[in-house]
Amino acid sequence: MNDIIWLTMRRMRTPLVVMILVYSLSVFGLTLIPGLDADGNAFRLNFLDSSYFVAIMATTIGFGEIPTAFTDAQRLYVYLILFPNVVAWLYSIGTIISLLVDPQFRAVLARARFSRRVRRLSSDFYVVCGFGNTGRMIVKGLLKRGISAAILEENEAIIHSMALDDDFAHLPALAGDVTDRRLLDMAGLADEIPHCLGVIAITNDDHANLTVAITSKLLRPKLPVLARAETRRAVDNMASFGTDLTVDPYTIFAERFHLALIAPVKYLVQDWLISVPGTDLRTEMDPPDGRWILCGVGRFGSRMAVKLEEARVPFTVIDVHPDRVAQRPGSVLGRGTEAKTLLEADVKTAVGIIAGTGDDVDNLSIVMTALELNPKLFVVARQENPLNDELFEASGTDLVARRSLIVARRILAVATTPLLPVFIDHLLNQDESFARRLKHRLEALLGGHAPSLWTIRLAGPWANSIKAAASEGTAIQLRHLTANARTSGDDELPCVCLLLERGSLRLFLPDGKEKLQEGDRLMFAGRGAARNEMLFALQEPTALVSCATGRPQPRGAIMRRLARKRAS
Amino acid sequence: MNFEKVVFGFFIVLALTLNFGFFLGDIDNPDHHHAIELGAALAVSLIATIIKFGDRSQMGAVLLATSLVADLQLMVAVFVWAYAANVSDVGVTSDVLASIVSLSGGALLANLVSVTLLVAETIMIRR
Repeated sequence: MNDIIWLTMRRMRTPLVVMILVYSLSVFGLTLIPGLDADGNAFRLNFLDSSYFVAIMATTIGFGEIPTAFTDAQRLYVYLILFPNVVAWLYSIGTIISLLVDPQFRAVLARARFSRRVRRLSSDFYVVCGFGNTGRMIVKGLLKRGISAAILEENEAIIHSMALDDDFAHLPALAGDVTDRRLLDMAGLADEIPHCLGVIAITNDDHANLTVAITSKLLRPKLPVLARAETRRAVDNMASFGTDLTVDPYTIFAERFHLALIAPVKYLVQDWLISVPGTDLRTEMDPPDGRWILCGVGRFGSRMAVKLEEARVPFTVIDVHPDRVAQRPGSVLGRGTEAKTLLEADVKTAVGIIAGTGDDVDNLSIVMTALELNPKLFVVARQENPLNDELFEASGTDLVARRSLIVARRILAVATTPLLPVFIDHLLNQDESFARRLKHRLEALLGGHAPSLWTIRLAGPWANSIKAAASEGTAIQLRHLTANARTSGDDELPCVCLLLERGSLRLFLPDGKEKLQEGDRLMFAGRGAARNEMLFALQEPTALVSCATGRPQPRGAIMRRLARKRAS
Repeated sequence: MNFEKVVFGFFIVLALTLNFGFFLGDIDNPDHHHAIELGAALAVSLIATIIKFGDRSQMGAVLLATSLVADLQLMVAVFVWAYAANVSDVGVTSDVLASIVSLSGGALLANLVSVTLLVAETIMIRR
């Protein structure tokens, strides 16, 4: 705000001085010029009349409201002051208008507005740096779960188009350098902004993400930072100063591919849990055993190669770089887009192919050529441009590595359900039977759509039911919370409790008879409707107690007293 | 069967029916409106309000609010009647009666909302 006033004052200084000088001299002069009143007596204009006259003259409004007709002397004087006044006036107006369209001034205005809107955010929010495809997906996901966002983006055109989008128009957004400390301060790092949950750095530029992460960790060490980093160096660098989550999409994809190779059920279940809620569930997929072909061992391919080796899967590499081919004996030099190279890599006896070059068209061409030569191939392809979604879908690819989607899903999962990584770690370390059990339970209630995840902390107003139940001499069990509190009988809500956290105790897939205590944190997966029912039951003072005791609880004060008397 | 629900529903519906009975008829015809019916409507409405005290659920809060509105309207109506009949020299003329009945009409609306909410809650919660 101060910037705006200061800038206006500095720019308007000269025009205002000129205008005041011209105006006051003209008024003063006009009061001195002799005139005649209606009866022909000598008469001089007073200050009010003359300043009024000069004002309507200078602004070229020109009401004809003159107390008496001017004498020749007055006319001559007015004739002299007319032009300087009009010019001084236009000069001031022109300066104000040029100030309003001045890019620097507009930037200051935009910043002030952004800062004001961030401060006014009444719900929790993340600072999102970078609003490309990934950013868009992440913000949409955050909004779906009732979390807001303050957006910083380098590209001004994106911010302008955002204002036209109904989903995002209400969010504070600013075009500017995301690495600028002052902008980050305004967006939520400043201490006095209460609702900031953390910083998400997902620009296309690793270095910018790194700068955002460092800045945020230095200014607000406690605030979580989730960042995207595509090179190993950037990942290590970010981890070194405590970035809470670094997302390297290709490593994530390679790890998940590895999981799909060695433990398909685990892969499937964790894929369900991190899917965008409401999307179709991935069905079981079984990558075949045998020899694979890996086209391109760049950033993506090299990570896949490591994981293939880890899973002890034999594979043949095709690459255009002779030095990369030389490193791996038995590799084939070429693009893989032509039948000749693929045949050389013996595509007819291979079971799967990974098209991992940096070019979407090349990858599509590899997929199509390979499928023509061997239609039974299991196909994995890397997709760089999100506009090519339909092409990859039509190409018959079994698994597509979409960079922005991988980043968005991972960041969303961690940002909105902090307990999820804990659960997934547990899932990966357990044997397949745990995953299979969870898969059956989820399958039964999801109806083919990805689950919503939600966390409930039984504290403050959310613990009222537990306290009320304790005073009734009973305890609320987990199965009461997962039952439909609006009906009697065993009407189960479509959800599964994945994790119960009580202090340092963690129960995975807890039993329905588990007694709930104040302070417990619970994570559920299920349909969104179940979440609403659950929140309703927790808000109703008597619903859960009625469920636990098996008889309806009186709600009014008089009825409560009567019931207590009868009981005693 | 939930005993509280029976008592609750009884008083809320009775408040509405008495209120409606008083309201029915030409607005300024003293033969159509009886003071005792107005008094009964107010009494039942007050009891219905008291039963709702102490209910901390969301629906309970809204029900209490509508009940208070009905009480307020009926109390003003009763006060106007009492003032006209006993204090002022005018007596309960058709003008005065018209304003009393229109006040009870307002209360009727609030009672209708109460009953609607009760029905909605009964449909929503089937235990």
